Amino acid sequence: MADNDNMDDLDIFFAAARRETDTLSADLTDRILRDALQVQSAPVEATPARGTVPGLWQQLLATLGGWPAMGGLAAACAAGIWIGVAPPNFVPDPLALVSGTQSDLNLIDSYDMSALMAEDQ
Amino acid sequence: MSPPSGSSDADAPPSDDALLVLFANGDELAARELTTRLGPRTFSVALRVLGDRAEAEDVAQDAMMRLWKMAPDWQPGQAKVSTWLYRVTLNLCLDLKRRKRGGSVGIDDVPEPADPAKSAPDQLQDAARSDALQDALMQLPDRQRQAVVLRHIEELSNPEIAGIMEIGVEAVESLTARGKRALAAALAGRREELGYHDG
Repeated sequence: MADNDNMDDLDIFFAAARRETDTLSADLTDRILRDALQVQSAPVEATPARGTVPGLWQQLLATLGGWPAMGGLAAACAAGIWIGVAPPNFVPDPLALVSGTQSDLNLIDSYDMSALMAEDQ
Repeated sequence: MSPPSGSSDADAPPSDDALLVLFANGDELAARELTTRLGPRTFSVALRVLGDRAEAEDVAQDAMMRLWKMAPDWQPGQAKVSTWLYRVTLNLCLDLKRRKRGGSVGIDDVPEPADPAKSAPDQLQDAARSDALQDALMQLPDRQRQAVVLRHIEELSNPEIAGIMEIGVEAVESLTARGKRALAAALAGRREELGYHDG
């Protein structure tokens, strides 16, 4: 019961607070209006401020997919160079291919080939 | 904050929405009308939540500045300007309190008596009650204080408060109920001093 009385009494306080809240000082009114007029007279922003546009390197990085993609790209380049310099046994020598040197690899022995051709005749 | 809707009077004042559009189009009178209409409530909420007049003035100015800057992008009819402004004001209050957490809050910075129609003793009693209420409000957790101020001083509906605070209506009811209980307990010891039962 006492609690209910106390809760009802709160309305007196709220009413007193409401009666006091409708004033705005002249100084604050002036500050708010000054801001409003400043915003109204300001030109419309057309371009973002300098410094927010990413540089060429940043754009390239973003296009490629960021640092993870750059790491993969670097690893692939290193592997390619290594294979070119020291190719495994089962890979043809790239230098020989470029210089036009004939390969020693014979898929069909030359003697067997001539015998086959003789049989056809 | 908005004028009553549904009036057939052609001279009815323009809505907050319409004024904001006029402002965005460069109408200086719209700026004055919006300041008169929205400024006091913005300041009042900030003052009740922060308990400091200078800080409340800064927050009110900042909130109104955001309103001016937002005006060109405002979509009339999608939301109430007052709801948007209350939300911005409360968020600015929370930001300010976070920044200064640990500092003291001046309970002497309370609203000044402003009703010229009331007698001097009545004004003094109003001021004393308002001081006591502000003192008790400052003891509440932030969210409870915000809900109580919006519900019982700004007299907004629970759904509107829910929209402003971005919580459910049940949560608003819970916050205001707990807040009022705490206020009642805090003010219980000052019944005689503040003349509770004099009407």
